[in-house]
Amino acid sequence: MFLSKLIRAPKTLAARLTFWYSSAFYLLLAISLVGMYFAISAIFEGRMEKDLTEDIEEFQTLYQEHGLDRVLFEINQEIMHEDPEHFFIHLFNSQGDSLLHSDLKSWRQLPSANYLLSTFSQQKENINLEKNAHADEDLESYTAYGKISEDYIVHTGESNQEEQEVLEILKIVSATIFCIIIPLGVLIGWLTARKAVSGIKAVSAAAADIEQGIFDRQVSVNAKGDEIDELANTFNAMAGRINTLIEEMREMTDNIAHDLRSPLARIRAISESTLSSQIDSNSCHKAASDTLEECDRLLQMINMTLDVAEAEADVRECKVDIIDLSYLTEDACELFSPVAEHKDITLSTHISGLCTVKGNKHNLQRMLTNLIDNALKYTPEKGEVIVELENQNSNAIIKVADTGIGIPEPERNRVFDRFYRCDQSRTQEGCGLGLCYSRAVARSHGGDIKLKTALNRSSVFEVSLPLSR
Amino acid sequence: MKILLIEDDHVIAEHIIKGMKEAGYSTEHASDGFSGVSLALTESYDVAIVDLMLPKLDGLSIIDLIRDKKINLPIIILSAKRSVDERICGLQHGGDDYLTKPFSFSELLARVKALLRRASNVVEPTSMIYQDLELDLLARTVSRAGKKVELQPKEFSLLEYLLRNQGHIVSKTMIMERVWDYHFDPGTNVVEARVSKLREKIDKEFDTQLIHTVRGLGYVLKQAD
Repeated sequence: MFLSKLIRAPKTLAARLTFWYSSAFYLLLAISLVGMYFAISAIFEGRMEKDLTEDIEEFQTLYQEHGLDRVLFEINQEIMHEDPEHFFIHLFNSQGDSLLHSDLKSWRQLPSANYLLSTFSQQKENINLEKNAHADEDLESYTAYGKISEDYIVHTGESNQEEQEVLEILKIVSATIFCIIIPLGVLIGWLTARKAVSGIKAVSAAAADIEQGIFDRQVSVNAKGDEIDELANTFNAMAGRINTLIEEMREMTDNIAHDLRSPLARIRAISESTLSSQIDSNSCHKAASDTLEECDRLLQMINMTLDVAEAEADVRECKVDIIDLSYLTEDACELFSPVAEHKDITLSTHISGLCTVKGNKHNLQRMLTNLIDNALKYTPEKGEVIVELENQNSNAIIKVADTGIGIPEPERNRVFDRFYRCDQSRTQEGCGLGLCYSRAVARSHGGDIKLKTALNRSSVFEVSLPLSR
Repeated sequence: MKILLIEDDHVIAEHIIKGMKEAGYSTEHASDGFSGVSLALTESYDVAIVDLMLPKLDGLSIIDLIRDKKINLPIIILSAKRSVDERICGLQHGGDDYLTKPFSFSELLARVKALLRRASNVVEPTSMIYQDLELDLLARTVSRAGKKVELQPKEFSLLEYLLRNQGHIVSKTMIMERVWDYHFDPGTNVVEARVSKLREKIDKEFDTQLIHTVRGLGYVLKQAD
């Protein structure tokens, strides 16, 4: 179990994150340690060279102030106190004759006095620095030689043993740090990465649940406001939307089933009563035409459902023309004028300004007639329906106002829902899709529809559509 | 009169053949695109009823082939696709009319008859007379029994349409399409209201009623019930 998890681990995001981050971290750490090592050795080297130069300069001062004896005394002091293996000093005259020197057993590789003298003729420097090999192969020696007067030359040097020891310790410490940090870093990295992707895991678990059919599943948000929370919030919003849609669809299917059932029940009743009664041609004829009417109603309902779905699809998918809304509005009002007259309703049209929109004529025509038809349907006799069209800051505004039964406040938001019908409208013929269709059309044209109320009017449906340029 | 029916649904085909026979037309039936198009290209028919979704060759291709051969055969498209765009597409391919399924047979018959009449009446009349009803298409005036009747433009178009189809039922859908160019049912009783208004002007003062309602089917202009 653990083993299989471990094999699978490299594929996980957490493992890859850990790998890449720790690799980058170790690389940087190694670079800085190596850099530090070289910086420190450079400092040491500088310091040694400075020491040697100062040493020779001191002898020059001593010679000038106190003469050769004092120099000899100081050199003797140094010979007595220093380890000959790691320090040497040699005083010779301009003929190359050695006057005083420390034990030179470990310094055999040093250049001879004559060679050093010959270099003075070639260069002007008073003090010369050199880096030489040392008897101990791990070490290096730093040497300096210079004239303390025209006749005497001091050659001195020391190994970098002390410095080498410090650097050795530095190496050990670095290695230890590395050894401790590698497993620790991997562990911390792994835990952090795990923690970071745990939010993603929660989201994917929720997605899996949704796939299993638990549509109301939500991911808990930590309220830290980080990316994971953002993801969780987006996911929740998406899941919520899907859930709402599914609920809506479920409700819609229920509604369709219910609304289809009523005409079906009527068809069934018609056929049954025709069959069970005395059959004569008159009753047969009536039954058949009743059935036809019910079939047409069913068909209209199914068609309307499809139309809503179609209208909700983008308007670009259907034929688009430049439409003169004033013509369309006049035409629609003219169409309904006998219906209004029949109910003794005043149907008036107010059109101001040129209103052309880019859209589908058929859909817009249908949206308009829906709104007018509704207004007429729910306005009692002797009422009034006003259709207004105006041009308002790059929008065409169509208002359909009536003096009808009105829509109660709590139901106003739902009138555009599929199959939603106000209690008061139940008695009227219709399938509860007209307003839903109208909204779908308005939105697919980049506009919207709103239900407003106005003084002395029961409801005002206001459609705004962006004007074509 | 001979009708070519290209339709793969046998129940619908039988229904149409039976109805057409009763109406006095003989129908030849092809149940797939290939046999349909070969019949259309070899035999001569007065009108063709073509379904869009067909095995082997679809309806639009059949219409294309017929039109390519310059055969002037009136075609009614039958389709379960009911969007206006589909209709426009069908008509652009050379169909003369478009009917969506499910349809009423009387609607189909009315459209077939209208197409046949259109094919035979090449010369546009300038006036139409039915009994004592007179329609002057140029002056756009109407009189009944010599008495002038004032009609609104759409009422005139409606009456003209009824008169062109005198004695034949025209459905509400056909009226909406031909008179208003609305390819959908715009509301509860738009056509009824308009027809009753027209009836008031044409029939009210007269003993003989000319405009009749056929329940569930549409309207007809005829002399007696």
